[in-house]
Amino acid sequence: MTVTPAAVEEEAPAEKKLDFSFPPGETELGIIAGIISAVVVTLAALPAVIKGAALIFAILWGMDSVRKTSKYGLGTGVPSIGVLAIGYGVIGTLMGLALAEYGRAGQFYPGVLVGVLVMGGIGLISGIMSNHEKLVAMKIPHLERAMMELGMTGTLIILLECSIVTGSLNFGAVLEDVIETGVIALMFIFSAFAIFHPYNACLGPDERRERTRMVAVEIGGLICILLGFAQIVIGTSPYGILDGVSLVVFGAVIWIVFFRMFIRACFKEAYATVGTGLIKTLG
Amino acid sequence: MGLIVVLLFAWMLVIAFLAFVACTFEDLESDIGSQSNPNSQVQLAAQVGQVHRFFNKAISGEPLSNALYCATAGTITWMLLQKLEPFVPDAPWKAAVLAIPVGVLGAAMVHLIFSTTAHCGRTVAQKRFEQPLYLDVLYGHLLPIATHGYMTTFCITTIAYIQSNLGTLSGNPALNHPFALPMLGFIWGITVGSIGSSTGDVHYGTEREFQDRPFGEGKRVIYHGKITRYAECGIRTQRDIAGFCAKFGGPVTGMTFGLIILFENWRNMVGMVLAGFLPDLPAFTPTGDMTAVISIVAGLLIIAALALGNLTFVRWVRKRCGPFVGE
Repeated sequence: MTVTPAAVEEEAPAEKKLDFSFPPGETELGIIAGIISAVVVTLAALPAVIKGAALIFAILWGMDSVRKTSKYGLGTGVPSIGVLAIGYGVIGTLMGLALAEYGRAGQFYPGVLVGVLVMGGIGLISGIMSNHEKLVAMKIPHLERAMMELGMTGTLIILLECSIVTGSLNFGAVLEDVIETGVIALMFIFSAFAIFHPYNACLGPDERRERTRMVAVEIGGLICILLGFAQIVIGTSPYGILDGVSLVVFGAVIWIVFFRMFIRACFKEAYATVGTGLIKTLG
Repeated sequence: MGLIVVLLFAWMLVIAFLAFVACTFEDLESDIGSQSNPNSQVQLAAQVGQVHRFFNKAISGEPLSNALYCATAGTITWMLLQKLEPFVPDAPWKAAVLAIPVGVLGAAMVHLIFSTTAHCGRTVAQKRFEQPLYLDVLYGHLLPIATHGYMTTFCITTIAYIQSNLGTLSGNPALNHPFALPMLGFIWGITVGSIGSSTGDVHYGTEREFQDRPFGEGKRVIYHGKITRYAECGIRTQRDIAGFCAKFGGPVTGMTFGLIILFENWRNMVGMVLAGFLPDLPAFTPTGDMTAVISIVAGLLIIAALALGNLTFVRWVRKRCGPFVGE
């Protein structure tokens, strides 16, 4: 459905004052988001709001990876890349949860990170194979790194969501509360949308990373609202109903702020924002 | 025994009818938002200088976006059912009467949010081609998109609810679907989107946008984007495309999906009844194997009949409507 712009150009240096510019580079964002979400995912006893904030960081990182991968001519492949990342994520989550008991100390589960690292490795290998001249030879710049990041960020996102809904990282609890109830379907499709929809929606020659990131944060807010309700209904949180309610309120505030910010940025940065008008007549 | 078969058959017909309605509205909804295949035209239009007044609903492909709405609706419905069913223990269907519409309303709001971000984002990313952001286009298309999407998601969520409670509704709880409601919504959403995309877009394009070209002609790139600009009278928007496609393209897409569901379930029913699978459901026995064999043979017969019918029909159309360009 999407068509690649004829000539994808490098981003022009931002001349206007940016509405939202934290943190500046892709690498910095990856490191910051990776560390924050990896630390939060191992601490299963944290309140859902903190996990929700870490989830938004992981989504931002995932969106950056999708953008990096899709920027070089995979115009039609943007949704596929997001779904691929979350597919990695579901497999990595099951693996991480299966290994969660190893090295566990109370509610601290460093074992789940094995799933993240293994999916990073598998992503790296598939990236190398896709770019290798004797194998698929797609020759997409930075594909290896982006695929590795996609595997890691997908796993972190699904792990954090399971941790939010069940309040623990117990394999049995996740199987019972997330997979058998069908909440995994919502998690899968919404997380995939959170990381591919921003770039897919803002695709074009004048795409700007800061604007695209606002959409990612906004969808992260929506996920927090829905997962908060799911947590209230399943009722497994050690903090009672307040945990879910606070996550819903947090998600709603994030969504309102960033949706407004995005729409205002669009109205401001469009060629012209007009109430109505006729189309330009061609000569 | 007799009652269960009749009830199963009745529910099968209800599901097929709901599938027909769902896919009809799915196709019209994607026409209003120019999602999927025709969206390439909307994308290219501004880049080849054809500024237009179309809505650019680049949420994703239709299968994924419908999976999103249906999974969201299914999850909200499931959550409400968990909370409401204890209030009416004698008749749990009363909870569904409230839960399904409210769940679908939540999904419709998600649909609106994603449509808005997609249209604004894509239009602003075409800034250098002087494509303005028309606010009346933005606001005027949101309501039709939401209402058509609501119809689709409502039908799909109802199908998922019927399926996950099929046994309870027809008198044998062993027939309940093993998957949960949100999971069924997800799978059905992908299916309805795929059929709407594969069947519906053909009619959208050929009927509406390429109708001034001879039958079967390819489209040169120079014309891409031109079709987004002018209608029979005035400037073209997608609201008139929905009205146009509602006469043929939408119902044909719905019929495709409805027939798939009908034939698929009918052959299973035939196998179950002929082999005596109902009402005890003896799986992994000679009776069970016989059920599968009869169902598969019936399916192959249906495929053969459809292929033959299609061939005959296409031959008749070619003879009647003249040769294709290039033949």
